[in-house]
Amino acid sequence: MNALRWIVFAVAAFAMNFPVIVTLITSFKSAKEIAMNPGLIIQAPTLANYARVLTDTSRFNIYAYLLNSTVAALIGSLLALLLTLPAAYAIVRTGTGRRHLLPLVANLRAVPLVVFAIPLYMMFQFVGLLDTRLGLGLILTIVNLPLSLMMMVNAISDMPTEIDEAARMDRAGAFVILRRIVRPVIRPAVVTAFIFGFITAWNEYLFGLMLTTRNAVPVTVGASFFFSASGGGVQWGVASAVMILGALPPAVLGMLIYRQLTGSMTAGAVKG
Amino acid sequence: MHSTPQQREGRLLLAPLVAFLIVFLSFPALVDIVYALSDVTFQTMRAPQIVGFRNFGVVLADPEFWAACWFSLRFGVLTAIIECGLGLALAIFLSPIVSRHGWTLALIMLPMMVAPSMVGLMYRLVLHEFAGPLPHYLTLWFGTSPAFLDANNAFWTLVVVEVLQWTPFAFLLFHVAYISIPAEIREAAAMDRATAWKILWRIELPMMKATIAIALGIRFIDGFRVFDNVFGLTGAGAGGSTMSLSIYIYQSFFKGGQIGQAVAASVLMFLASLVVLYGAAVLKAQLDRRRMAA
Repeated sequence: MNALRWIVFAVAAFAMNFPVIVTLITSFKSAKEIAMNPGLIIQAPTLANYARVLTDTSRFNIYAYLLNSTVAALIGSLLALLLTLPAAYAIVRTGTGRRHLLPLVANLRAVPLVVFAIPLYMMFQFVGLLDTRLGLGLILTIVNLPLSLMMMVNAISDMPTEIDEAARMDRAGAFVILRRIVRPVIRPAVVTAFIFGFITAWNEYLFGLMLTTRNAVPVTVGASFFFSASGGGVQWGVASAVMILGALPPAVLGMLIYRQLTGSMTAGAVKG
Repeated sequence: MHSTPQQREGRLLLAPLVAFLIVFLSFPALVDIVYALSDVTFQTMRAPQIVGFRNFGVVLADPEFWAACWFSLRFGVLTAIIECGLGLALAIFLSPIVSRHGWTLALIMLPMMVAPSMVGLMYRLVLHEFAGPLPHYLTLWFGTSPAFLDANNAFWTLVVVEVLQWTPFAFLLFHVAYISIPAEIREAAAMDRATAWKILWRIELPMMKATIAIALGIRFIDGFRVFDNVFGLTGAGAGGSTMSLSIYIYQSFFKGGQIGQAVAASVLMFLASLVVLYGAAVLKAQLDRRRMAA
């Protein structure tokens, strides 16, 4: 029975990861080999595709895309935490906002993103945030708010009241309590929320597509340029290398904290 | 206003979040309402002409809008059911090895870490008739390979793409729910000589009912609003046969420049998602009441 389980696991994991496996393999094939051998076994592995992507930046600059994604995703994940940590503390400890604000933000997760995209396009054009990393980061903050708030509320609910009550007796201000006492205690949850938010923001596509054109293009959008451009069809090896480079940061982060993600993702989903 | 110091402190802590929401939600909502009722193009964006509900009329009379609605609805329902069915079966069957070997979970979660838009692009390679391994092996083994992305097959190809990437999400929810069923319950049932099937149907699945409902809801919403992987793989594709509602709105905005209609369509989509949320809230209230009664 366990042998059957391992076989089912192997088949399922292989099928689910198939596009990533194929892309990884193709990124190590030369253009000539891709044309002759589309299979999964590489005959003459090469790093030429990666070398090409990383050195020939005249038309498409992968460094710029990666930097744009990094900056926007950092803004999107850090700002979401800065907004939701104090709010979660207030919701859990004083009850203010529990009835309306919490469900409002939690339900934002269910609203189709495209609904926000058009009015935000107008707004950003008006204030000059169109095609900027800051503008993209601000929007990614909206995307991250629901899960970030749920994770913070769950973490603070699990924290014993005695811990911060003692500090309140000493008349410490709320922000001091948050920084000195709450944040260290729920540090693991904060780190998980930050990394999860970073991954979500990095992987976002629709807003990057609609709100950036040249200067703030994130790697999810930049990767598609390698498919649409260049006469004579797609250079599959180069395009594969770009996608591996673009998928690597969130994949590595996810694999580092997958155990914590299991707990918090499901908590966010089930309690929301 | 009488308010305790505690309440005042609470409001102060909530203020940044509330301010952010006002700027990024209420202003867009206002713009949406004005533009949905206006005749407006990229040139006249700052001076929209109010024309009443005409945009809604145009959208509702557009067969492409209804085709997109039908695509999104069918896509959301089908992917949610398949993902949850598959995820549930896998979570229960693989539970003995996944709970003992944590690394297996990492491999199952990996697809969720990759941007859906990039997964869409990756399948362009996977399915490509010359460079793609899948047509290569199918031709090698069976002598023929289907046209995955033509008008007849594109929908089902996209369903499979979505299911393969997001079954892990359902799997994860069910895995956690399954292993948190107390061991005593199973032991007690086993003492009564209940078979494994009976325990599954009579005890375990009913205990996981709430999680199943939540997983179906979340996966339906994500499938209904699908954009990234469809746009990456087929765009509106094969004669518009893969135009989801999100893609319809995107295209009427950018390609057509029909801002009023795009916004009207997005308002309709927003209302549809409110209906889903309201339904979910009613369902949840019912479940809670039944749990209280039990």
